[in-house]
Amino acid sequence: MAPTALLEGTNLRKTYRLGGHTTVDALRGVDVTIDQGEMVAIMGPSGSGKSTLMHILGLLHAPDPNHGPRPELRFDGRDMVSLGEGERTRIRARRMGFVFQDFNLVPTLTALENVMLACDYAGIRGAAARTAAREALDLVGLADRGDHRPTELSGGEQQRAAIARALVNRPSLVLADEPTGNLDSERSAEVLALLRRFNVEHGQTLVLVTHDEEVGAACDRVVRMRDGRVRDQAAAVIVRATEPAPRAVAAVA
Amino acid sequence: MTLLRDLGRRKLRTSLTILGITIGIWALVVFGSMANKINALVAGGSEFYTGKVTVSAAGGQMGFGNPLSIDAADRVARLPGVGAVVPGVNMLLSDQMTGVSFGMPQMIEGQVAGADRGRETFTLHYASGRALTSADEGSNVAVLGSDLARQGDTRVSDTITLRGETFRVVGILEPTLTAPDGAAMIPLAAAQRLFVRSLPSLVSAKLDPATVVTGITIYPSPGTTAETVAAEIRAASPDLAVMTGADFDRQIGSATAILNSILVGIALISLAVGGLSVINTMAMSVAERTREIGIKRAIGGGRRRIVRELVTESAVIGFLGGAVGLALGAALVLVVNEAGRSSGTLLFQLTPGTALTAVAFSTVLGAVAGLVPALHAARLDPVAALRYE
Repeated sequence: MAPTALLEGTNLRKTYRLGGHTTVDALRGVDVTIDQGEMVAIMGPSGSGKSTLMHILGLLHAPDPNHGPRPELRFDGRDMVSLGEGERTRIRARRMGFVFQDFNLVPTLTALENVMLACDYAGIRGAAARTAAREALDLVGLADRGDHRPTELSGGEQQRAAIARALVNRPSLVLADEPTGNLDSERSAEVLALLRRFNVEHGQTLVLVTHDEEVGAACDRVVRMRDGRVRDQAAAVIVRATEPAPRAVAAVA
Repeated sequence: MTLLRDLGRRKLRTSLTILGITIGIWALVVFGSMANKINALVAGGSEFYTGKVTVSAAGGQMGFGNPLSIDAADRVARLPGVGAVVPGVNMLLSDQMTGVSFGMPQMIEGQVAGADRGRETFTLHYASGRALTSADEGSNVAVLGSDLARQGDTRVSDTITLRGETFRVVGILEPTLTAPDGAAMIPLAAAQRLFVRSLPSLVSAKLDPATVVTGITIYPSPGTTAETVAAEIRAASPDLAVMTGADFDRQIGSATAILNSILVGIALISLAVGGLSVINTMAMSVAERTREIGIKRAIGGGRRRIVRELVTESAVIGFLGGAVGLALGAALVLVVNEAGRSSGTLLFQLTPGTALTAVAFSTVLGAVAGLVPALHAARLDPVAALRYE
């Protein structure tokens, strides 16, 4: 069965203005496809455009419309380029989950409330949100840490709470920007195994931005970037949710 | 709950901001109550002087001041449009009560009961006892205003000393919030006697108390206005000082309007300062929370939602400041009024309207002040906000 494309981007370009006349061409025309159920790493050195690509795929930024060929971005077959900020925010809330490198959680909220915040933004409130948030925390092994504030959680626990938040609405796509960047190797293996488990068990589509080769090696495919372009989209390890090959999981677990 | 936690993050700063609003609202409540009291006095006075003409000797005002011959009453009575003429004596309760007094001074008022022939529209209600009647002329009896009675803890059938003479109290009035509260009403003959005795002996020696009054109140006959009668009196007797309700409003009303605007102006200035401190606090708070706002925006928090959260937060700051300011202001009003009660001077009047307006105003002020930083926060680029150090 041919895999279904979840995200299709073509001619994605982004130029940032740094003030004055200095501009940075962060993306210089990128074509990329993310299939349903895939766990993809976007890798590359600093300044290669990998974060910019993630921001565009995650609808945090729109691709530049006026540089060369018209950009296209389809999410679940739907055009994203022409959407306004309000609609993009709604899609982020309901169809996507985000994990960032650090400072993922709202400091005044407990872990449970942080997860519930994502439910709230997706329109789920009250007891339903509380139940869903508890389940999500349970899945990442934080069932008994729900009442703790972020400052009372370790770095690894914070990332797991962030993963619970990213997953709580059962999104079509989870985007993670250096999710293990601030963790020691043991904690980062835990986090990676957790993400892998959701990919394998639930067919969760995941896009990870990283410069850690070990993380890349644990993914189905690596999109390598350099100077704002995709250099190589070769599959690193072929692992599919439909035919689980738990080698990568075993390697990090 | 979350909101209180956000406010609690910087307790000192939040408290200081609330304090800023508190001072403003405190000033608004205190000055507003002062203005209320003045307005009530003026409104009462305006009501009192409406529909009648008050005549005094030249140099006097409001039926009070220099001695006036009772002949003037006969002269006035012959003029067209005059319905009833009530000569009276108004004098200060005590000569010691000079100096600046806020509100109405305490007075002795003497006139023949019933001389108005039922034309007086300013009705007095009796808390206890009875009104004076024409049969009281010649005896030393008195009706006391509510403040005056409370001040001496005087009850009906007690005696009271007015300028050296003993009077038996026959009635006590309900509070009116204006002049009668501080008045002792006595028969005309007794008042004339007291008044003449209070004059310098060179003057008083030549005067027969029965011919001396300090003012005459004229009620127009039906179909005639007070203004018309006043014009007649001015034309016939240029030596008399003539005043109507309209004159009262002109003289006193414009003065109180200025006083009111000064008082409210002071309060508004302090509130403007308080409002700016809310803007400052919220702007700092937004700056500190930039990354958090970035996270919220990234995971799907809408712009409107961000604005709503921050505006609610600053509205709560405003509300707390307003509530504390109101409480402190009300406490001051209460304490000062309680202290002033013994001297019969109630400086303030705090109405529910003033209280409600103060808190509502501070809440709205907080919300509006929070709007600018909140809109700024909502416009932040989530990615830039996430990277903000």
